[in-house]
Amino acid sequence: MKRIMIDQAKCDGCKSCSIACMQAHRTDEGTVYDLDLTDIHNESRNHIIEMEDGTYRPIFCRHCDQPECVMSCMSGALTKDPATGHVLYDGTKCGSCFMCVMNCPYGVLKADTATRTKVIKCDFCIDAGGEPSCVKACPKNAVFVEEVVL
Amino acid sequence: MRHVIIGAGAAGITAAKTIRACEPGAEIVMISADTHVHSRCMLHKYLSHERDERRLSFVPEDFFEEQKITWISGKRASHVWTKTHNVQLEDDTVISYDKLLIATGADSFIPPVGDFRKARNVFGLRHLEDAKQIDEVAETAERVLIVGSGLVGLDAAYALLERGKDVTVVEMADRILPIQLDETAGKTYQKLFEEAGCKFLLGRKASNTVMDQTGSIRKVILDDGREISCDLVIVAAGVRSAISCVESGEIAADRFIQVDEYMRTNCPDVYAAGDVAGLSGIWPNAMKQGQTAAYNMCGRKVQYLDRYAMKNTMNFYGVTTLSLGKGAAEEGDEVVICEDSRSYKKAVIRDGKLDSILLQGNMDYSGVYQYLIKNQVDISEKKDRIFALSFGDFYGIAPDGQYDYQI
Amino acid sequence: MNQCFGCNTCKSADKPLETFIKGLPMETSHHRVDTQKTKCGFGLQGVCCRLCANGPCRITPQSPRGICGANADTIVTRNFLRAVAAGSGCYIHIVENTARNLLNTAKSKGELKGIHALDRLCGMFGIQEKDDYARAEMVAEAVLADLYKPEYVKMDLVEKVAYAPRVKRWKELGIMPGGAKSEVFKGVVKCSTNLNSDPVDMLVDCLRLGISTGVYGLTLTNLLNDVLLGEPELRLAPVGLRVIDPEYINIMITGHQHTIFVDLQERLTKPDAVAKAQAAGAKGFKLVGCTCVGQDLQLRGSHYEEVFDGHAGNNYTSEAILATGAIDAVLSEFNCTLPGIEPICDELKIKQICLDSVAKKANAEMMEFDFSKREEQSEAIIDKIVAAYKERRGSVKLNLLPDHGNDNTLTGVSEGSLKKFLGDSWKPLIDLIVSGDIKGIAGVVGCSNLTAGGHDVLTVELTKKLIAKDIIVLTAGCSSGGIENCGLMTPDAAKYAGPKLRAVCEKLGIPPVLNFGPCLAIGRLEIVATEIAEELGVDLPQLPLVLSAAQWLEEQALADGAFGLALGLPLHLGLPPFVTGSKTAVKVLTEDMKELTGGRVIINSDAADSADILEKIILEKRAALNI
Repeated sequence: MKRIMIDQAKCDGCKSCSIACMQAHRTDEGTVYDLDLTDIHNESRNHIIEMEDGTYRPIFCRHCDQPECVMSCMSGALTKDPATGHVLYDGTKCGSCFMCVMNCPYGVLKADTATRTKVIKCDFCIDAGGEPSCVKACPKNAVFVEEVVL
Repeated sequence: MRHVIIGAGAAGITAAKTIRACEPGAEIVMISADTHVHSRCMLHKYLSHERDERRLSFVPEDFFEEQKITWISGKRASHVWTKTHNVQLEDDTVISYDKLLIATGADSFIPPVGDFRKARNVFGLRHLEDAKQIDEVAETAERVLIVGSGLVGLDAAYALLERGKDVTVVEMADRILPIQLDETAGKTYQKLFEEAGCKFLLGRKASNTVMDQTGSIRKVILDDGREISCDLVIVAAGVRSAISCVESGEIAADRFIQVDEYMRTNCPDVYAAGDVAGLSGIWPNAMKQGQTAAYNMCGRKVQYLDRYAMKNTMNFYGVTTLSLGKGAAEEGDEVVICEDSRSYKKAVIRDGKLDSILLQGNMDYSGVYQYLIKNQVDISEKKDRIFALSFGDFYGIAPDGQYDYQI
Repeated sequence: MNQCFGCNTCKSADKPLETFIKGLPMETSHHRVDTQKTKCGFGLQGVCCRLCANGPCRITPQSPRGICGANADTIVTRNFLRAVAAGSGCYIHIVENTARNLLNTAKSKGELKGIHALDRLCGMFGIQEKDDYARAEMVAEAVLADLYKPEYVKMDLVEKVAYAPRVKRWKELGIMPGGAKSEVFKGVVKCSTNLNSDPVDMLVDCLRLGISTGVYGLTLTNLLNDVLLGEPELRLAPVGLRVIDPEYINIMITGHQHTIFVDLQERLTKPDAVAKAQAAGAKGFKLVGCTCVGQDLQLRGSHYEEVFDGHAGNNYTSEAILATGAIDAVLSEFNCTLPGIEPICDELKIKQICLDSVAKKANAEMMEFDFSKREEQSEAIIDKIVAAYKERRGSVKLNLLPDHGNDNTLTGVSEGSLKKFLGDSWKPLIDLIVSGDIKGIAGVVGCSNLTAGGHDVLTVELTKKLIAKDIIVLTAGCSSGGIENCGLMTPDAAKYAGPKLRAVCEKLGIPPVLNFGPCLAIGRLEIVATEIAEELGVDLPQLPLVLSAAQWLEEQALADGAFGLALGLPLHLGLPPFVTGSKTAVKVLTEDMKELTGGRVIINSDAADSADILEKIILEKRAALNI
């Protein structure tokens, strides 16, 4: 499967990945210039944690081999695609219980801020041809896609 | 090889999927009393009319065809004959098995209060069938009494409040959601429910009932003598494992079917998982148990290790809460509380390790805490920022790109 | 393996140049566009604040305010005001030096080549004096006196230079500027940490800075330059890399302060200097125009035919000009002197000398221009350049592009030369506009950048679309450099115009795009507009006139833009000026401005769409004038 690999030493915390993710998942049309950065509906699927020593830790969905989120989903909204290996989320099925948020050992998931009914979850930009927007936006190649054996 | 699974809940379905992945050619037969695969955690959405029965399913519509599973639905298993490797159904059909998984789950427990067990307007909320019956009575019922303010009780209360019913919840404890929440966190939800019109009677038990000629309870009498008029009673006072199919057999069971770490019962080729095994009543654990049992049924020795069960999440009126651990502090524990207008957070730290945590209002990115508790990770040096912990603090990446805790 | 440095260069409207740069064995800014293509979204929207140690703070849905509490509106407008103030400071620096050079020249009885321009200034300022030197001194002193006023004392010349209806409106809005330098000072104070947080107040300050920038930095700088250096005269001249003649010692000049070169450009043609060049093996010296000071020289090229080779290219052509190997020295006195020329100069042993420390380049020799030592300095510069020539020629391979550009670009267009061409009257132009032969006027001004489609891409495309719609285009700034190298300023370019404009151009023998020269000449466009408005008896916002800084680049352009808005003109920008993170700023600039000054900002990066929008505005203005 393809996985977004992370070289955290290269991360500068610029959040270009987060903006690219917000732009990729915005519901209205537009460019990054008019992406409303104050609109809570625009949420990034990834986030960057700054450590006390000034280094950054990118938190990106790993699309785990054994996804704990899928193993907690009581609605069938979260599934692991056997063909691509990606962990997909179907918001229309989601029961908004957020057990997946509890169960992701890496703290990648969150409830959507605006409605608290959906999970904010990486979809590998499958609708945009599967080249993740975050990867394209990273000025340092701190995130990049690699084929890994599932 | 024929695998037979009794029960189509979280454990049974996960087991079936796992077996299919391990043994593409094996025969899989599932037997369930349920006629629709459904998620018990969403029954309240059926009651509130947010979802129909089809949308309660947690598997794709073509699940059984696609996974090549024979599904015998709407039938209960009445006996398991372990010596002959047979399952007898309630209509006396006999299904033989090579490997058997019992994942029959649990049924609502209706306490013997007054005529609760006899009345036609008293229900638990455990199966789709329960929800359908409640829905029917609710068509005409106005006043609803809910016994118990656990998650099931409040789910039911939410659904019926959504339908404009006059809902009263009776709770033995002095606060709502007593197992999952402390008083402060419970109050938040109590207030939200009260704003939606719900009435709570805390520290009270139902002690008797008044039933009319039609067999419907019209009043419930509390332990302080107070009488509550009602048209519908929902009892959310816990569950009992559904072990009737093993009661007369050789499979060792007390309140639950007893299993070892491989989810094996005392009888060869018979496994149990989920609520019936009594290890945990939590959905994710049931899925893991079903998965573990399935691996072992397929000959892969896999232990059930991820046993931590003191965990839950809830989401009422847009307020989300994560609750891990018992939440009760013991002598010597450090209790850290952080509260503001939008959130309430409480952690119990014992011997430098996290014992319990409660996050109400905002539980974003909180998945790390279960890992820290379950693996008893020493956080003594990080405890001053217990609520700010993230995977960043334990950051590691395996060669295949997966995250890997560095402790 | 190809010798080129990296083939991912950006596009250029100038295809031969694009090919040339693609093949260069060294890195240029055109190469770096690719590696810098990932832009910070917060930066693009202007919502990154690093005004204090709590920062940088950035606006996100989870953090709609910085630590101090500043919201997107405050952060954006503080950043914007800071940029406009800095840009204003740049132009005020230019006019200050220009006035000082005029003053010093007058005091030392040096040559004043533009007496007509002096007459005009004296007329405006109300100076009655007879003696030219005394008049020049008074003019320069009047300008300097205004520049040095405190912020709380209004400048005197604004009312004398600017169009009366505009001055009236500015007074109503309370945006008449105090001392120009102090306005910059106040601007930077206002947007410092935990001071002003009122987005509208800061945007209004931008307008005030726009007025001082425009009236002094642009309009007056032109006229002061004209006094010292001579007035523009129409002529056809060669442009592009073809102007470089390797037989000469070639000096590329970059900057905006033409008066700094007065002595040097005279000295370079003196026999003793030419003898030095010849002794080194060259035919003599040539100045190769680049950036705006090159445009200024081109504009007045009729006065400098012997020493000036022609304009080679704009800001983002400078690396290519150096890469020909035939440039021996770079003399810089202001922007746009790209830092990226330094490694190229090092590699090709090109001597770099800076004449104004504001533009000190890291590895250039500093020789701060000193009027009193100008002759010694010119000598020293000549010697250093001759030494560089000897050192480098022979060892540095030439990589010329002799076919680049064209030989017959119409230059020397100014408010004076154009009016003279029309028979000392604007009436012929007005008649053409009224008759619809010319639908309207678009000033395509400002810089070139590399990101609005590529080098000059949007500028040239937009210009083509506009002239095809019978809208005559006037240019000023690096846009001129790009458009001229693409051939749109040759009389032959009439064929690209719409049928009506084409007929006009062919009849008059002019191109459909008229080159006013450097960005400073935006001030000349303003004079043209003002004089036409005056003749029609209307205010500027009523004219069928639009501005486009399609490929604006820098803070100066933002100050220019603020002037355009203060004048009440529609201003098109190809890329947003880092303000879109603030809904208030966007609304004020694009909508509310119409009520304030009559101007408005239009942001669009598509040439066709932009041309349609600008045409629509022109048609609306025509309709309002009943023409």
